[in-house]
Amino acid sequence: MTSLFLDTSSITYTIAIIKDDKIIYHQTGDSLNKLSDIILTEIDVAFKSINLDIKDIDRIYLVNGPGSFTGIRIGLTFAKIVAYSLKKELVLLSKLEMLSCLKEENKIIVPVIDARRGYVYGAIYDNKGNQLLKDQYIKLDELKVKANNYNDTIYVSEQPIEGVKSIRPNYDLISLIKRHNEVVSNIHTCKPNYLKKTEAEEKNDKKNK
Amino acid sequence: MDTYILAIESSCDETSMAIVKNGCIDVATVVFSQMTTHANYGGVVPEIASRMHVESITIVLDELLTKANLKMDDITAIAVTYGPGLIGSLLIGLTAAKTLAYIYNKPLIPVHHIAGHIYANNLTKKMEFPLIALVVSGGHTELIYMKEHYSFEKIGGTLDDAVGEAYDKVARVLNLSYPGGPIIDKLAKQGQDVYNLPIPLNDDSFNFSFSGLKSAVINLKHNEEQRGNKVDTANLACSFQNRVISSLTKKTIKALKTYHVQNLIIAGGVSANIGLREAMDKICRENNINLSYPEFKYCTDNATMIGAASYYAYKLGRRADLDLKAMATCKLN
Repeated sequence: MTSLFLDTSSITYTIAIIKDDKIIYHQTGDSLNKLSDIILTEIDVAFKSINLDIKDIDRIYLVNGPGSFTGIRIGLTFAKIVAYSLKKELVLLSKLEMLSCLKEENKIIVPVIDARRGYVYGAIYDNKGNQLLKDQYIKLDELKVKANNYNDTIYVSEQPIEGVKSIRPNYDLISLIKRHNEVVSNIHTCKPNYLKKTEAEEKNDKKNK
Repeated sequence: MDTYILAIESSCDETSMAIVKNGCIDVATVVFSQMTTHANYGGVVPEIASRMHVESITIVLDELLTKANLKMDDITAIAVTYGPGLIGSLLIGLTAAKTLAYIYNKPLIPVHHIAGHIYANNLTKKMEFPLIALVVSGGHTELIYMKEHYSFEKIGGTLDDAVGEAYDKVARVLNLSYPGGPIIDKLAKQGQDVYNLPIPLNDDSFNFSFSGLKSAVINLKHNEEQRGNKVDTANLACSFQNRVISSLTKKTIKALKTYHVQNLIIAGGVSANIGLREAMDKICRENNINLSYPEFKYCTDNATMIGAASYYAYKLGRRADLDLKAMATCKLN
């Protein structure tokens, strides 16, 4: 089986092509807010460099958030069009789980993504990918209190976050994708996992309370 | 050989795809409008618009191919609106178009949103040149001179609010629901032009200005209410619409005369305004001008017009690479 792995949910994007549990292509880079300009070209380069065509893949693993709203949307739009048009399988992954899926780490892992104004997207995972606290939009201080219930925790984030001592991730992609076989049953209705409503919706909710 | 272009438009709050044959035949069109959602917020919320585009993107594509009864193999090229518009919204259509162009190895044609609005006219009647195009919508008010296909020379535009924007703002002040343009148009028919409002930018240029007129409406309503008088909404709508139309017709006729042009096309969302159509009909008859406006269904944002415009861009050899950028603002050329 050949799969395309795509993460466009943060400034650092990842494109990988995996064949029978082996990574045969891996590329990460900083998109510097130009993700939409470069991502298709980078995907094209990826397939050409290993003499494959996107039609040759069986499955797409897409990191579907949380993270940059625009980034996730670009990734999911690409994935939905490919999966629909070429009849490929689509498997959606959590960025927080990806952050927690580290090489050689035997601790309780607290993945965090900055969501500004004292908030983060966070969760708590053990080293086998079991969710001890589900992915959520949460005040950093509150997450810290919850994480204090566990011994030997380690925070992981791609970008430094004020008020947290964290390590940068060293992803174990193969372990991550091996855990997941849940193919999206209806491509049309799948949505990004923002974990947060828009400000306009939040304001409306408050008004209607 | 016939050219079938699959076009995608997502610059604001409509997710639309169309297949257009030879730049003039609407083979199939799908428009997924988000208007009822945004009406809850009194206007388009960009983040919500972007979210809804992703949710509907393959639904629209599937419906299109079914409706057209065509396969991707039958498609000559992919066209897409790259700007101007809401950047987050544009990016969804653009990513979808690039992905289709990439996986099927088809040429990608970049189309300016305003070129699309202008070419909406080509779906009804083949455009004749030279022409003047008056583009009026929620985001644009422009006079464009076209010597031939796909040659755009902007000769004037709004200095502040777009005409549709002024309609929406005035509608809000008059406590009318969103979108307010069509409601003002209807009310204007019932009212009388009794309020003293200024004719906007009554000068020799080809430019427009609607923010002063909008402020005048707001002040008038405020002052009358301060004095304890009730403002007649229909009369105020009529007075406002008359000033807008008078400004648009006056500058347009002046442009036609200055450029010695006999063909006028009106395009954009506000080209659906009945008051404007009637006034333009009358003044064009008097001046022997060949006038055309799009069918109502092609006035608001749709991909059919992008497909029509792209055919002429395609014939000129215009192509984009996979690194095509979405642009919130960009010049029509």
